[in-house]
This record gives sequence, structure tokens and C-alpha cells, in this order.
Amino acid sequence: MSLVSFLTILLDGLAFGMILFIISVGLTITMGLMRVINLAHGAFAMVGGYVVAILTGDGMNLWLAILIGCTAAGLLGGLAEMTILRPLYRKGEMAQVLLTFGLAFVSISALTEIFGPNPIPVVFPDYMTGQLDIGFRTYPAYRLFLIGVGLVMALCLWYLIDKTLYGARLRAAVDNPNMARAVGMNVSFLFTITFVGGSALAGLGGAIGAGILPLEPFYSLKYVVLFLIVVIVGGEGSFKGSFAAAIAVGLVDTAGKFLIPDVAPYLIYIVVFLLLLWRPNGLLPPKSVA
Amino acid sequence: MKKLLAITASAVVLMGATAVLTGPASAKTFKLGLTAPFTGPFAVWGKQFQQSVEAFQAANGDSVNGNKVEIVYRDAGGPNPAKSKQLAEELVLREKVDMLVGYAFTPNAMAVGKVATQSKTPVIIMNAATGRITRGSEYYVRVSMTLPQMVSPMGPWAVKHGIKSAYVLVSDYAPGHDAEVFFAKNFEKAGGKIVGGARMPLSTTDFSVYVEKALQAKPDALYMFMPAGAPSIAFVNTYAERGLKKAGIKLLGSGETQELFLPNFSDDVIGTFTSFHYTETNNRPQNKALWAALRKTAGPKAVPDIATLAAWDGMTLIYRALKKLGPDAKGMDYVNFMKGQKLESARGPIVIDPDEREVIQNIYIREVRKVNGKLVNVDIETIPMVKDPWKLENPK
Amino acid sequence: MNDPVNSNFENRGPAMANMNISMSPKSLGHLVPWAVAIAFFFLFPERLGQWTEILIWVLFTISMDLALGYAGIVTLGHAAFFGIGAYTAGLMSIHVTGDPIIGMVAATVLAGIAGLITGMLILHTTGVTLLMLTLAIAAMLENWANRATKITGGDDGLQGMELGNLFGIFEFNFFGVTAFWYALGVLFIWFLIAYRIVRSPFGRSIDGIRQNANRMRAIGTPVWWRLVVMYGVSAAMAGSAGALTSYKTEFVGLTVLQLLTSGIVAVMLILGGQKTIYGAFFGAAIYIMVRDTAAETYPFLSEAIIGIMLILVVLFLEDGVMSVPKILRRRPKKAAE
Repeated sequence: MSLVSFLTILLDGLAFGMILFIISVGLTITMGLMRVINLAHGAFAMVGGYVVAILTGDGMNLWLAILIGCTAAGLLGGLAEMTILRPLYRKGEMAQVLLTFGLAFVSISALTEIFGPNPIPVVFPDYMTGQLDIGFRTYPAYRLFLIGVGLVMALCLWYLIDKTLYGARLRAAVDNPNMARAVGMNVSFLFTITFVGGSALAGLGGAIGAGILPLEPFYSLKYVVLFLIVVIVGGEGSFKGSFAAAIAVGLVDTAGKFLIPDVAPYLIYIVVFLLLLWRPNGLLPPKSVA
Repeated sequence: MKKLLAITASAVVLMGATAVLTGPASAKTFKLGLTAPFTGPFAVWGKQFQQSVEAFQAANGDSVNGNKVEIVYRDAGGPNPAKSKQLAEELVLREKVDMLVGYAFTPNAMAVGKVATQSKTPVIIMNAATGRITRGSEYYVRVSMTLPQMVSPMGPWAVKHGIKSAYVLVSDYAPGHDAEVFFAKNFEKAGGKIVGGARMPLSTTDFSVYVEKALQAKPDALYMFMPAGAPSIAFVNTYAERGLKKAGIKLLGSGETQELFLPNFSDDVIGTFTSFHYTETNNRPQNKALWAALRKTAGPKAVPDIATLAAWDGMTLIYRALKKLGPDAKGMDYVNFMKGQKLESARGPIVIDPDEREVIQNIYIREVRKVNGKLVNVDIETIPMVKDPWKLENPK
Repeated sequence: MNDPVNSNFENRGPAMANMNISMSPKSLGHLVPWAVAIAFFFLFPERLGQWTEILIWVLFTISMDLALGYAGIVTLGHAAFFGIGAYTAGLMSIHVTGDPIIGMVAATVLAGIAGLITGMLILHTTGVTLLMLTLAIAAMLENWANRATKITGGDDGLQGMELGNLFGIFEFNFFGVTAFWYALGVLFIWFLIAYRIVRSPFGRSIDGIRQNANRMRAIGTPVWWRLVVMYGVSAAMAGSAGALTSYKTEFVGLTVLQLLTSGIVAVMLILGGQKTIYGAFFGAAIYIMVRDTAAETYPFLSEAIIGIMLILVVLFLEDGVMSVPKILRRRPKKAAE
């Protein structure tokens, strides 16, 4: 393999991994916090994406549209958390799977009814759709943009979670929710806030990732397995784990397609399978489960 | 346990009520059972079939010699043979349909073969395109196309026009495999060389890795096959984005640039060559009539595609058969009548092969151009009356 | 008939004692589902296809009940065994023999072995990890089946199944009479086996493991091994259901291996009620009837209807339809207080 190929795979894999990270990180934290399996998480990404696609289609500035899209996804997430998901915390995994499955189904039907079954595009500004000369080749600016956004988001989240009071509370609640409650923290409120934030981030990922994961009514069911893989491989509740897992999934998938295309469709499942046999709690599990 | 009994009893009543409510209707009219996806990611097929049938009946009347022709629509969801077979059984037993029509996907069409044979019901296939389907029952008649028929002419044409080497990327499903095999075979027979290729999972949305490999193989052309719509739009974008277009690598395909989806492509699609059996914007009077009829009933924005076309031609054949044989003939009589039928279709002339009950038709090589500011497929060559190559290679 | 696992169970005495299917008025209820099934055959012969589908899914759902309901094995990959059964039965009829009983036995045994092997690998995990592992197994199989077109026909499905007559007499035809009785018979046999298992000491220990695996381990129960056996039985049963579906359709497509198939069977179980066995009858019947009725009347909303049904069941009918009598019984008491 030439150096050019190697670097190209690296960039492609990173771009894909960053999208997975942005969408999945909210799921990681909420799953770690409340142990609720939310298969409808993709629906929040989808809602954010659809809002942005429609607004940019009408000529709105991309960044403004993203702001509105994330707000919409966040609000919807908060609403869903308070009304439908909260009663789920005490129920078994399968009940959670089914209810959120049901939510995903409803969203599919609603979107098909309103926007039709075909994918709708997010209109990116010209400076994002062009090519950039990066020394060894020309490369799509869009993918560099994805990598950039992903890195910025990862840094912000790292600061938020590792360096702020909110982050300290969040980590405490993930590691030991009962103790957190006992010392007087309002864990429910913390969770709602986190859920809103996670959903808004998913909305961001859904919108800017539309060039790689196209927005269509079946979006939430189609990619939910990928998001779950990131969460579980990374370790539920582990922000750093999900970053590592997302990048790993992006790189393994991309390299697999390039080097061994015949195995590529199930390569990711094989890797996940072996990995989970080796480390059932994921790569970097939080203290509560490690 | 009493409660259990009570519940079971009420369940029985409920089921009974459901059954009565949706029970059999009167059977005086000639009934067609149209099975296609009406929900899910492939719902566009059902919609196009239905619009076409409605347009046809609006233009040609809903009865033949006073016998009403009624269509019962059934949703197969997607490629789901079990469902398709069950629907066929119910259509035959409960709805008492005289013919089964539609079928977007090969597995769904194959699954009804035995029902057709055992119940002596003709099946008019309006899309499903794997070569061997019509061998599955004597009651199959296909009016759409076969994949080998559609893709085979591209190879020799490409070689004739200076394309000596090709890289082949197809979606990893049966039609993709057929396309890969029949393009490669005919391309190499004509003197071309396949320099590489891959099968891409159907779920692929990001084609960059595959296209990147194609770029590095430095072929004269890249041959693609994938479902029309979102995947092919993304594929063409990636093809340009990764610099293949700039490197002068030609893009070849078949159904990817259908009129229905063409407006959604970027201008990078200009210069793509495809082989296909229907150019939606051709100027035949039959085609203009089809457009006019469709827009009259389905609205001014409706665009016909191969589903519209096949349903229209299928209905034409069925009406002809009814005119000749009336509504009470045996299933095999209708099939026999259709054998050898000639039709001036919106796509051009077609014949139903009497031996194989398979459509024989022209294949057109088209180039995507921009005409009056609009992307359009322009016919640049016609390969006349192509028989299904799969059947020629696999004689009975 | 085909019971590759029965030999694993000792202590048949107490199990039999618990199975008092005598004619006492209380146990008469046991006959109801079967009576309904047979009555339906005579009342609505033109709906036999749907009815047979329901019986097959009842069987599949009971197998899910053994794994998820009784043993607490959280799985979203049961389609793997359903699919192994379906493809085995299909391939047997093409390459070996069209006899539907030999094919059924082969499908059941193979699915059971697959269940034992994968169970040994994954059953030391729990929760979402287990969920992901089961899902990964089914996904690997599905992708492999899609690739292995020479064996499975890939996306086109398995072509050319040639079925012999059942017992050499009854032909599988489009009226679906043979398929219906065959499905009913296989379901009945498996029902008896499942009924007995869950009331056996083995079944009780499984119940204990679900409630508290550590405590069971402490009193000396071989937890992992018991779970593996239960998983194997459940897989074998799912394999039988898969074989039935391939006999009914005389065709096998990739759908039998898909995630949605695993999801639907879980839906049916929760809908009917876990840990009841009888819940499977209600879950499968209600799901399929709602789905088909919705598809015929409001095709464009059928997904939403199913979605809303799921949400309502989880929120308000946690223990499924089987808990309705209990809820009804509880209400008046509360009112009296």
C-alpha cells in the first residue's frame, strides 16, 4: 500500500469516526447515567438533520440552520426524556429496546408521510463542497471540515466533563448514582440537562454528517446499530471510550473496505464480537462497571 | 383460568369480526392483484405502479367489452418472499383474482411461481429483473426487462468507442452480481480488460473508499451498478469529488440516471453513459401519450419511470387479451395469447418471446447532457431487439 | 419427535406431575388455544396462510420466552437460529431429501448446536454487552448469507426447494392445508416440551438464575452451563420455527436472518407476556393481525400503528396481554378499599 493510500484511508476513517463520535457521545453518557437503552437516539440526529436540510434548502446560512436544528433536536430530546423515557428507567433492557424501537417506528412513519421516502440533502456552502490541496493529493474540503468539527467538539466535551463542576457531578452520577443522590445532587435534573445536550449534539452530527449518512426516514433504524457499537465498545458512560471507539470503528471500517472488501461487510461485527468477548465492559469503562 | 377463557373467547370474536369485515367481495369483474411495496424505503415502486394503472384506466376506460377490470393492491413492504407468497395465496383464494401483477423484486416474484402454477393464474411481472424468473412457472409473462438484457450491450459499445479497460463497482445484491458478470463478460469478449472491482454492501452510503481504489487502478472507465436514487447520487458525487472525472475516467452505468432522479444529481453526472431500455424523454408519440395521461391523473409534476412503463404495457396486454378472450378464459389461454404479442410501447417496439414469455426490446445507449439548462438522457445509439442473454446462455 | 435435548433432563417425575392436562375444569383452559386454532381452520379456510404464519411465530416466540423470559438472556439475535433452521430445511430439500420430517430434524438439531456453541461463547456476559454480542452473531450470519450466493442464493433467496409429501401422503400446496397442520403439530410437540421444561427442577433453577445468578452460584448451581443448555433448547426451537417457515413458503430469503426479525419476535413476546408460554399465542396473533389489518386499511401508517402499539404496551401493559386478567382482578379490590 502506498503512502498516499495510507494517508487517504486515515483521513477517510477519521472523518467517518468523527461523525459517529458526535452522534453517539450523547447516547454514551445517557446510557451510562441511567442505564437506559435508547434505540431512538438516531431519531434525534435525524430530526436535527432534517431541520437543517429544510432550512438550508430554503437558502438559510448553514451555521444558523445548525443552531436551530440542534435546538430542535435538544428540545425534542428533553421532551421525550421527561414524558416517555423516564418511566423506563426501572424496566428491563428489553422493554427499553421495544419502547424506543416504537419511537423510531413512529418517527419513520411521520417523516415518510411529510417528506416522502427519499433522502433529502443538506445544502453545504461552496467552500465546503470543493477540493483542497493538502500536499500529497487534493482532498474533499467537506471531510476535513468533519474532522475539524469532531476534534473541536471532543476538546470542548473533555473540558466540560473533566474540568467543570457540571462535569464532576456528571462523572459522580455515572460512577455511583445512589451515592450522588445521597449527597444531595438532583440526578434527575442532571439527566434531563444531559439528555438535552446529547440530543442536540446528535442533531449536529445528523446535520453535518448528512454527506456520509444521508438523511432519510429510515435513518434512525439503519444506523442505530453503529451508534450502539460505539457506545458499548467504548464502555457505557465513558466519554473517552466512545471517542476511541468511534475513531476505531471509522478506521477499521474504512481500512476493511479498502484492503479486504470481501470481508468488509461483517468485519466490524467480527471485531466487535471478539472485542466484547475480551473486554465485556468495553474499552474504557467508567468505574461503576469496571 | 376463567378469565383466560373469557379473553380467548373475546379474541376469537375479534378475529372473526376482522375476517368478516375484510371478507371476500363479489367476483363478477375481472380482478388483478397488484403486489408491490407501498410502504418502507421502496414505497416509490408501489406509488408509480398505482399511478400508472390509474392513468391507464382513465385513458382507456376501466372496462373491456363491458367487463369491469378491478385492481386489488397489496403491500409486500420490500424484498420479502414469505410475505409475497402469502399475499399471492390470499389474492387467489380470498380475493379470487384472475391475474397476479406487479412485483418489484426478484425474490418476491420467484416466491409466487408455485402458487401461479397450482392455481393456474397468470403472473405479469412488471419489474423484477433476474433472468431465470420466467423459468419458474409456465404462467409468468414479463413485460419489464431483464438485467443481462439491459447491461450486456454496454461492454461492446464501450470497446468500440475507445474504452479498453474498466473498473467494476456494483452493489452487493443479486441484480448487482448479474450486472457485474454480464458487463464484464461482454466487455472482455469485445476485447476490453477488467482491471479490478468490488461488491459494495447495499447499505453503503459512503463510497469514497471504493472510488479511491478505482482511481488508483487507472482504468479508462468506471462501471457502476446500484439502486437508482440516493446511492447513485452519492456515488456520482464521490466520483467527481475524488478526482476521477478530472482524471478522464469515464462513468458507465444503466438505470442510475433515470429521469425520475436526474434532477437531484449535480452537474458532475454530465457525460455519464448508460444502457437502458427506456429513455423517459424520448419523442415517440406513444411516450408523449403516456406522459400526458399520467400527468392528467397524477398531477403536473408526475414523471414516468420503468415501473410506470411496465405497468402501462402490462395493462395494454391484459386489455388486449380480455378483448380477445373475454373475462372467463383459462389462465393458460391468457398466457398463450400474450406469447408473441407485438406492441409499440413508449420505450419503442417490444415483442413477448413466445418460447420464454420474455420481453424482447431495444436497448439504448444514452449520454447525460445538459439541454436548455436541464439534465437529460440523450439517446446516442440503439441496439435493436435484444433477447435476454441469460436465457441464450442457459437454454431450457 | 425431534427432541435432541430431552435427554438432558432428568427428574421427569415431578415435571410430569405438574403437567396435569387432565379434564378438570381448571385445566380445560389449556385446550382453548388449540381449539381456537382448529376452529379457525374450518371457519376461515381462505385465511389459512395468515393463520399458519401465526402458528410459526407462536413457536418462535415461545423459544424467545425460554431464553429471554425464563432465563433472562437478553437477545436481539434470535433470528440467527430461525434463519439457520430455515436455510437448513431449504438446503436439505434441494440437496439431500425433500422429506419434511428429516429436514425438520436436521434444522432443529443444527440450530440447537449453533445455540449451544454460541451460548458457550457469550453467556458469561449480561445486559447490553450480551445484547450486542447476540446482535453481532446474527449480523455476521446475515452478511455471510448475502455473500455466499452459491449456497444461499444471496439476495435472490434460495431457489428450487422441492418438498416431498408429509408422511408420504400430504402435499404442500398453495391451499396451505398441509403446512397448517404440520405447523400446528410441531408447535404442539414443542409446547409440551417447553411446558415441561419450565416446570422441571431445571426450569426452576433457570428461574432462580434470572432472579439472582450470584445466589444460585453460591448454592452450587452450575449457572453458565444451565444457561447454555436453555439457550440451546431455545435455539433448537427457533430452528424448528425457521424450518416451518421455509416449508410454508417453499422459499428462504435473507429476511429470516435480519435484525427486524429478532426485533419482531421480542415484540411479540413482550406483547403477549413473558414467562407464561401462553403469552406467545396472544403476542404473535395480535401482532400479525394488527400488522396485516393496518397494512390493508392504512398502508402508509402501518409503521406508526405498530410503533404506537409498542409504546403503549411497554408503558401501560408491562407484562403483556397475559397480565390483563390480573390487572382486572386487582382493580375492583382497590376500589373496595
